[in-house]
Amino acid sequence: MDKKPRLALVVGAGSVKCAAALGLWKVLNRENIPIDLFVGCSGGSLYTATMALGFSLDECIEYTKTLWNKEVTAQKNWQALLSVAFPKLFNFGPSFGMISDRRMETNLNQVFSNRTFAEVKTPLTIMTTDFYTGEQVPLNEGKIVDAIRASIAIPFIWSAHKVGERTLIDGGVSNPMPVDVAIKEGADVILAMGFQSPLPRTVKSVSRYAFHINSLMTNNLYHSNFAFHNAVHHSEIITILPEFEHSIRLFDTDQIPYVIAQGEKAAEEQIPYIRKLLNIEP
Amino acid sequence: MEITITTTGVIDQIIITGSIDALTAPQLINTINAHIHDGHPNVIADFSKVEFMSSAGLRAILASVKEARANGGDFRLAAPQPNVEKVLKMSGFHNIVKVFTNVDDALASFESQNNG
Repeated sequence: MDKKPRLALVVGAGSVKCAAALGLWKVLNRENIPIDLFVGCSGGSLYTATMALGFSLDECIEYTKTLWNKEVTAQKNWQALLSVAFPKLFNFGPSFGMISDRRMETNLNQVFSNRTFAEVKTPLTIMTTDFYTGEQVPLNEGKIVDAIRASIAIPFIWSAHKVGERTLIDGGVSNPMPVDVAIKEGADVILAMGFQSPLPRTVKSVSRYAFHINSLMTNNLYHSNFAFHNAVHHSEIITILPEFEHSIRLFDTDQIPYVIAQGEKAAEEQIPYIRKLLNIEP
Repeated sequence: MEITITTTGVIDQIIITGSIDALTAPQLINTINAHIHDGHPNVIADFSKVEFMSSAGLRAILASVKEARANGGDFRLAAPQPNVEKVLKMSGFHNIVKVFTNVDDALASFESQNNG
């Protein structure tokens, strides 16, 4: 008997734009096309986690607004900023981050509390990066909140996060669109959704300068990895590319309904092909 | 997917209509390889009617480029639609394959190469 093809959804970096994955998920649910594996990285980790835990679409939207809003970057980490000028006095170290993570951690705990990977309805892996070695560290056990916190630790902006013995940062630093995790887990068909990091409009502060450079490097890595995985592996990678008529900025949470609708539209176009690949009758 | 081949002198045009994906890529590779081995290594693929391309499509392009160049010619792309263009850029294929906004420019690139 033929093995049933396994379907994975990989959602890479892209902050609010990643909400388009909820539109894609909505269409797959409507069409009774089950996902066998979720893989998330950076912004994508927030959405894949809520989907893998089996939250409803409305809950996912609501939680997104709780998790990701302007308040999470409102509080500067003054000690870290002072440590740039006076490294010995203010203990400059690997946990450097210009923005306080207090609010973000509160928000994450509010949504995910002590939930672990063992509680997901669909297998989930979240990509992070080892701060010291640069090695990819895919997490699929322990507390989900720890994995997400590490996966969104954007360099310079938020501090690294310790999970067990490892000091972890943004998964986008090593693998912004981790389709290889899905390939390794045996996915035959991979739906890939990810976005380039937006560049700040102006570079008039240290934080914007850091964000700009980080985005350039991450975007180049994104292209290289994506090229490699597309060219080398036998799995079928279907890139879902929602079109946005206007720019969606980092914290445009009011745009989430529009972003979801565009994700839905992009997904609709691929449904007949996905059905054929998975041998699912309409 | 439909494939139409037209020959104009030493350069051939392949017009592809539909999606290039896991279900159609083998047909495309076989057709292009057979054409190249038939003594036509200079090929322009008109992508204006390609609606979608997956990773299998990208691999088909890569295989065609390798085959054409191994036989002394080249495989160039013309007029990809915006969504296909985006996939080509995301995957860095613009750096290894010559892509033109229209067929005339692709033709001119071969002609200037032959005249140069």
